[in-house]
Amino acid sequence: MLWLYLHFPHLLLDHIRRAQPDTGPLAITDAGGQKVIQACPHARDLGIRPGMRLKTALGLAPELAIIRASDHQQERILEDQAFWLYRHAAHIVPVPPDGLLAEVGSLQRMYGSLDALWKVLEQALQERQLTAWPGTAHTPLAACLIARSGQGEFCSDKARSLHLLSQLPLTRAGLDERTCTRLQRLGLETLGQVFALPQAELARRLSRETLMRVQKILGTRADPQTPWQPPHRFRQQLDFAQDVERVQGLLFPLQRILSELEADLHWRQQDTDCLQLSLRHRHEQATRLRIRTSGPEHRAEAFLNLIRLVFERQPLKAPVISVHLSVQRFLDRQIPTGQDLLGQNGDPDEAWHTLVSRLQARLGDNALTQIVPQPDHRPELAWRALPVGHRHKAVPAVPGAHRPLWLLPEPQSLGETPRAWLSGPERIQAGWWDGQRVHRDYYIAQLHHGQLAWVFRDPGGDWFVHGWFG
Amino acid sequence: MSELLETLIRDARIWRGHEQIRHSQPEQPTGYQALDRELGDTGWPRGALTECLLDHYGIGELQLFLPLMQELSRRDKAIFWLNPPQLPYAPALAREGIALDRVILARTQDTGDFLWTLENCLRSPVTGLVMAWPGRLASRDIRRLQLAAEAGTNVGVLFRERRYSEHNSPAALRLELEADAHQQLKVSVLKRRGGWPGQHCSLAMAHRSGRHIPDTPSIVQGPWAAPAR
Repeated sequence: MLWLYLHFPHLLLDHIRRAQPDTGPLAITDAGGQKVIQACPHARDLGIRPGMRLKTALGLAPELAIIRASDHQQERILEDQAFWLYRHAAHIVPVPPDGLLAEVGSLQRMYGSLDALWKVLEQALQERQLTAWPGTAHTPLAACLIARSGQGEFCSDKARSLHLLSQLPLTRAGLDERTCTRLQRLGLETLGQVFALPQAELARRLSRETLMRVQKILGTRADPQTPWQPPHRFRQQLDFAQDVERVQGLLFPLQRILSELEADLHWRQQDTDCLQLSLRHRHEQATRLRIRTSGPEHRAEAFLNLIRLVFERQPLKAPVISVHLSVQRFLDRQIPTGQDLLGQNGDPDEAWHTLVSRLQARLGDNALTQIVPQPDHRPELAWRALPVGHRHKAVPAVPGAHRPLWLLPEPQSLGETPRAWLSGPERIQAGWWDGQRVHRDYYIAQLHHGQLAWVFRDPGGDWFVHGWFG
Repeated sequence: MSELLETLIRDARIWRGHEQIRHSQPEQPTGYQALDRELGDTGWPRGALTECLLDHYGIGELQLFLPLMQELSRRDKAIFWLNPPQLPYAPALAREGIALDRVILARTQDTGDFLWTLENCLRSPVTGLVMAWPGRLASRDIRRLQLAAEAGTNVGVLFRERRYSEHNSPAALRLELEADAHQQLKVSVLKRRGGWPGQHCSLAMAHRSGRHIPDTPSIVQGPWAAPAR
């Protein structure tokens, strides 16, 4: 077995810088907010170094943007990376806070060679603007140590990795401080010297744990790894170092995560019709937006257009500090049908969904309706409005009588004597069973301007217009 | 025609406007022979805007477009109703053979949304007919809509009040609708492309009330001769 360990030396920094590439100096501080732990190149030019106290750093660069690292956030970002790595390797294990372990020995035949695999991974890392130090070895722990040392390379040569390991100073071997000091007092400097010690003595004089660790590094003791399973959803987050006040500033980074979504949907061979977008603000409650398409969709461009429309309708209520995109509903892809040989007609269904989604995104979900007849004798209950997109089965209308094409939302009282009476009466008496009782005699009458009206007389003798024969 | 003229036409040195228009878009018969004749046998202009100017509802203005709607339903094209003043009545439409799953009602809040929606509907290849009831519209808005209509192949209809007939409009076809005797609809052509305005015809619309004998009312006089008020 050959293990690859990817160590992300400044994952949080990369994550923030790719959401806002043009911010000034940026530093990540520890959870307490006292010490700088990561600094971007811009900040390093100004003299800010990891390990520096925050006050000193602020003295050097007053405009420094500061992000406080949180374990939860780092873990989440790391899982995002596991997501895309899973497309390339099956057996992967996230190692919080900043590492990913992958079994690559079994992939050699699929990719042809290890170099080919590394090229693919390098490209994926580059696309995501991530810095990662690789390390390969025959045990997970050894790969981890080599990667973290920063001298690792991508090769399957066991002797080479053993050589790198034995050169490793004890302080970088991940041993606890007490053991490390004791070994140093014995005059040992590198890991190679520890490997040379007789194992029984190592266990007796130091501790069983130390021996176990050494054995795990060397591969003489099993070190089982539980493979990570991707959750059945898509989730990405953008964190900004500086609050975003304008929509334009959101759309650009959103484009990147939407193409990530497109790649993910492509990989799953699925579509979605609902994106959940949550914008967090510093002092106000988060804005939750639901981006719906009327049909299955996977193209980043289409999603972006819809998001743009939604923002046009609903401007930002406060500056945004982070954006969270999640997709939970996945639909299986359907093979497009009905295309002609040259594909010139396009898919009419797709054009239909695009149009309806666009209109709904701008006008709101309730602005578009469809109408269906209902089996009821009362004119106002003989139809129903439905939101667009819901499949409904055709209900036969009550056959027989002729009905006007226009119905007034409310009957209006008839203000004039009709010029001519054309037909009637048609008595409609219904609704005694549900309280909306109707007792009317309907006539078709012609009014003075030549309109044909559907008029009725109620039991009280009052006359109303209920529709127009348009 | 003189020999000279024929030579000119044969050499294609004379551009004849009405032929150009006739062949730019496939024809879309109105379903009313008399009206088709008045419109120069092109029917409803596709990829262009039609304006209908009328003051009262119930004179047969929807009936005018019913043959078109029926044909579009057969071709599975969508029919959009944008801000209709009343409710299109589903049982009546279903009875006329219109596929209601392709009938969409849209309501907009302001003029900006209205124009945007109408433009999108006009441009889309899935739409067949867009009927819109705008409030006030500036001439440049109609121009914008006309351009959007030209980008598609749909019939776009604006229903406006008759007082706008005095105003200039970039719409390709403008019709004035009035009620005529015997429940007919009088259609006057105010403007059309590739032809002269001024024609008018009366279309039989009596069947819209479900009666087929237009001249003899089945009720000679209302049962209550003087309705309340």
